[in-house]
Amino acid sequence: MKTKTLLPLLLAGLTIPAFADIDRTKKPEPDPAPAASFPDYRTETLPNGLKVFVIHDDRKPTVTFRLIIRSGSIADGSKMGAASFTASLLNRGTEHRDAATFALETDSLGVKVEAASGPDSISVAASGLTKYTDKILDLFSDAVLHPAFADPQFARVQKQTLSSLEAEKQQPSSLAEKLAGKVVYGSFPYGNYLTPEDVTALKRDDLVAFHHAQFLPNNASLAVVGDVKADDILPLIQKAFGSWQKGEVPELKLPELPKIKGLTIHLVDRPGSVQSNIIVLSDAPPRNNPDLPELNVVNATLGGGFSGRLFQNLREKHGWTYGSMSAFDYKKLAGDFEATAETRNEVTGPAVAEILKEIERIRTEPAKEEEIALQRQYNVGNYLLSLENTSRTAQRVQDIDLYGLPADFYKTYAKRMSVVTPAQVEELAKKYLTASDVAIVVVGEAKEIKPELEKVGKVIVYDQELKPVTK
Amino acid sequence: MKLAPFVAILAALAVPLSAVAKDDPAAPRRITLKPIQFVEYDLANGLHVILHENHTSPVIATYVLYHVGSKNERADRTGFAHFFEHLMFEGSDNIPRGKIDKYVSGAGGNLNASTSFDQTDYFFNLPSNELKLALWIESERMMHSKIDEVGVETQRKVVKEEKRMRYDNQPYGSLFEELSKLVFAGTPYAWVPIGSVQYIDQATIQEFRDFYKTYYLPNNATLAIAGDFDLDKTKKLVEEYFGPIPKGPDIKRPEFHLTDPTSPVTHDVAKPNTPLNATMHAWHAVPETNPDSYALQLLGDILSTGRSSRLYKRLVEKEQAALNVEAFPFLLENGGLLGVFATGQHGVSLDELDKLIDEEVEKLKAEGVTAEEYRKALNQEEAEFASGFGTMATRARNLARYHVFYGDTNLINTELDRYFAVKREDIQRVAKEYLGKEKMFTLRYPAAGAPAPEAPAAK
Repeated sequence: MKTKTLLPLLLAGLTIPAFADIDRTKKPEPDPAPAASFPDYRTETLPNGLKVFVIHDDRKPTVTFRLIIRSGSIADGSKMGAASFTASLLNRGTEHRDAATFALETDSLGVKVEAASGPDSISVAASGLTKYTDKILDLFSDAVLHPAFADPQFARVQKQTLSSLEAEKQQPSSLAEKLAGKVVYGSFPYGNYLTPEDVTALKRDDLVAFHHAQFLPNNASLAVVGDVKADDILPLIQKAFGSWQKGEVPELKLPELPKIKGLTIHLVDRPGSVQSNIIVLSDAPPRNNPDLPELNVVNATLGGGFSGRLFQNLREKHGWTYGSMSAFDYKKLAGDFEATAETRNEVTGPAVAEILKEIERIRTEPAKEEEIALQRQYNVGNYLLSLENTSRTAQRVQDIDLYGLPADFYKTYAKRMSVVTPAQVEELAKKYLTASDVAIVVVGEAKEIKPELEKVGKVIVYDQELKPVTK
Repeated sequence: MKLAPFVAILAALAVPLSAVAKDDPAAPRRITLKPIQFVEYDLANGLHVILHENHTSPVIATYVLYHVGSKNERADRTGFAHFFEHLMFEGSDNIPRGKIDKYVSGAGGNLNASTSFDQTDYFFNLPSNELKLALWIESERMMHSKIDEVGVETQRKVVKEEKRMRYDNQPYGSLFEELSKLVFAGTPYAWVPIGSVQYIDQATIQEFRDFYKTYYLPNNATLAIAGDFDLDKTKKLVEEYFGPIPKGPDIKRPEFHLTDPTSPVTHDVAKPNTPLNATMHAWHAVPETNPDSYALQLLGDILSTGRSSRLYKRLVEKEQAALNVEAFPFLLENGGLLGVFATGQHGVSLDELDKLIDEEVEKLKAEGVTAEEYRKALNQEEAEFASGFGTMATRARNLARYHVFYGDTNLINTELDRYFAVKREDIQRVAKEYLGKEKMFTLRYPAAGAPAPEAPAAK
């Protein structure tokens, strides 16, 4: 398929007219913009309530099945870790195949079956070559519907999790994220992180109970992505998942969501740190908030990419960090805003102050149209680029179902981002951002960074067990 | 770095070692993939151009690979190539300082760059109506990038933070730095691309300009473009933007090879934030283009890909000694290594981990691999290969890499055949040949606060 041309020779006589067209002293003008249209896909609902989406992609001879259970760690109740352990055990043996057999059957075909849990959902995905579609579906449905939760496998995951928790005590990003959840969400389940006590208290039967209560077809959606035709794959899915019995999804009993009031710095002392991990947090709305597309432009302006203000200020102006970014972390029932940086010890205090300054600035100073135009286009264009990725499309389609978004959310998404004005950015920043009601998490060398942090606000020190240190 | 390896001629010469064992299944057949079509040619100034036209999505990916990496650095200027990559975002004669990202973001795209031992690459993803912008910026950088004190000073600080973030402040963050120092000692692979920060402070502006003049030349670069463009128009544009860049002198490439140690080498790295015992066993291996690289990849799969692999079954599943274990060939242009890395469960000693890895490696060397394992590894590579080149960005990158390092761009379509040409016996042969006990490197990270490990007896 390769054509080795002799272009240098052919062009030898053409060089002069060829160069006449371009002016390299100026940025070239773009051609007319291509349309950003969300890809077509097929939706079916099985009689048992399971929603199925089929997204065609023939660039690779592969297929991926992705099941979303609309219950995650938020449904743990008093059995902390139930969702996460259930997910971990799904590909470790079923009623028909023990763990070793399941591993051998998947590995032998280069098939991957993986599960993960989040706050609002559990995802189970299986992928491999289309020539093994039947077999992949067999292994996948077996893992989803008939996991064995065998005692020895449960014990292994328990032991591994305890070792992982031990390791996480030394990882600055793990420490920062765990404490961040806690200071934003308190005793609301989004704030939970696993402790060794939770892991030890968990029983194999808790996973069986979680699976029984939450793994229901009417509490799930299934996306199929790959070089398969809907008409061929839907009957196979009906066959594999048709006998899955629907049931009543248990109602969640949840405490009130707390609110962040005032400014507090939560400092995890990690002796030996040569850099500080900083996360500035504030309360934010949930995933289905009606302003989300427009808020993307607000966030991009503040800290969405290399041209965001945080990056330009903390990295390009001050040289304090390799990167500084911000993002909204939207969950189903609540959200939070996070601005982050990793800075050397001696500039940690000033960096926190500068992040707060940038948050305040976007709320109170009107932005120039030129800056907002760039950020609009950045969002719209990168959304268009992301449509190339069909797994991402599947995730978006399932997100509409999981978070209860309007059906046309992604059809109007680019258009809405493309018309945001500087005045709207300021108005939304005022509504959704704050530099005064913030929780600031810092992980670093306390004896070097605490004095500077105290100039910014009240500091509470924690140890690596995330327990407050009392003096 | 799974982008392994090969040279067609050597494959054709590879001699089957022995008759196929009786219990082997029929010779495995691989799937047929849709060919990724491309044209490639050189401009008069030596720039190699690869164009893959594909209208699936209205996007383009551009990828510029300069054949210069940290191995081209002097030992007293490590980190230079990577630092230089940061400077390439500063601007050019026609692009004001700090504008490159603004232009690309403002066009709805994204960009990045990376530096490794052998190469430095720059990539843009853009909506397809912005092709000219990508060509303009990349040709500006190649023609007359801006190298001044302002940019150098800021980036010196930024790169120090990058090193702290990735290497110095993470548990096991120094692993590759220590591994390279140990296994590639005496060669330009002995330091990692991030290098040592003090050398960047010592470097003068003139040194940066000289580096640019030596390596950032069209005759040392490959431009790959994949996506939604018109082939003829794009050829013309490429000529217009890149044609006027003058060709430079040929590049002198470092030549070196690895010398095996005559007895095992062990090094312990004590760090205050190491949470769990971890150990790495490593051996010299071949350059990525060596025919044995494929057998080494399959060996790595049999040792550690998936829960049915040997090391996983033994260390993680049966003994519950390790949290994870991975065997990985790390093969570069001038040489490589095969490493086995395991992190112990809480309380498991380094000696225990070392013993278990040794036993499994020795067992494989003594007994070879089963027909089932052989077939499984091929199937794993097949699935991996088939899913590898979905996006325009991955296609542009791999087209360029196959051209530069293998001299055969079409390997993007055919490389899988190289795996399927490996015989079952080859896997045991490479294990015996490369994983010698007497020439093994061991790099250990004792958990902080754990009792000091016993020094291994000298041999």
